[in-house]
Amino acid sequence: MSYYLLLSALLFAIGLYGVLARRTAILIFMSIELMLNAANLAFVAFARNSGNLDGQVMALVVIALAAAEVAVGLGIIVAVFRARSSTSVDDLAELRG
Amino acid sequence: MSAFDLIAGVLLVASALAAVTLKNAVHAGLALVGNFLVLATVYFALEAQFLGWIQIIVYAGAVMVLFLFVIMLLFDAKADVGTGRMPWMRPLAAALAAVFFLALAYAFSGVGPVHPLAEIKLAGGLPGPLGRLLYGPWLYVVLLIAVLLFAATVAAVVLVQPGVRGARKKPQVLERERELGEVDR
Repeated sequence: MSYYLLLSALLFAIGLYGVLARRTAILIFMSIELMLNAANLAFVAFARNSGNLDGQVMALVVIALAAAEVAVGLGIIVAVFRARSSTSVDDLAELRG
Repeated sequence: MSAFDLIAGVLLVASALAAVTLKNAVHAGLALVGNFLVLATVYFALEAQFLGWIQIIVYAGAVMVLFLFVIMLLFDAKADVGTGRMPWMRPLAAALAAVFFLALAYAFSGVGPVHPLAEIKLAGGLPGPLGRLLYGPWLYVVLLIAVLLFAATVAAVVLVQPGVRGARKKPQVLERERELGEVDR
């Protein structure tokens, strides 16, 4: 079962690379989704490992949290795009209105 | 380790790499959809049937459609934009991700194999047993998620409403500003 844990660690690292290397807010967001899914895979693998359903419940909670996060995050991206006509994080380096 | 595990692992890693490296944002989003679908099959294999279907419906369906919709709404398909303030960021990110993977792998190396005495009581991860947990010991978490989803819905609607951008100023503040303007003149 540690195979899936390693796989989840690898997916999480790939997502981390995406968050650091991407320059567009939407693609950084997609990398964060990748990291959340990696954590979910670890939860499900642990649930299978210990024969306990709590891990799957936790993964379900994470999916619901991710849905809320996507709604707010994409709303912020759309609002920022309206104000700045850009979603590149390099253009948003100053915190001025 | 079965052939399914190997194939699923290769597909997962390949689609994840495609999602973080492809130059076109729509292509990256579609790679991410593939990643989520393969992950759903892995959930089925790990006796998490309900979670697998939720993964397909919520993630591969709703969330990714929202992503693709926003990408197309903002004409933002070009992924390689920006002024490149930090050109050294990409190799640094790769190095950091590698270090992080090694650290996680080291942490997971302490996790033993399946305990032979622990009987598998997952019941296939069907909705019935899951629901008994969700509406039993996890009830408060479910309620908190309900509040969170409601708040997030309101926040999303308010954020994208064109009229309410910029803080509304109180009448006193407006009056004071008018006075200051008269002094300047």
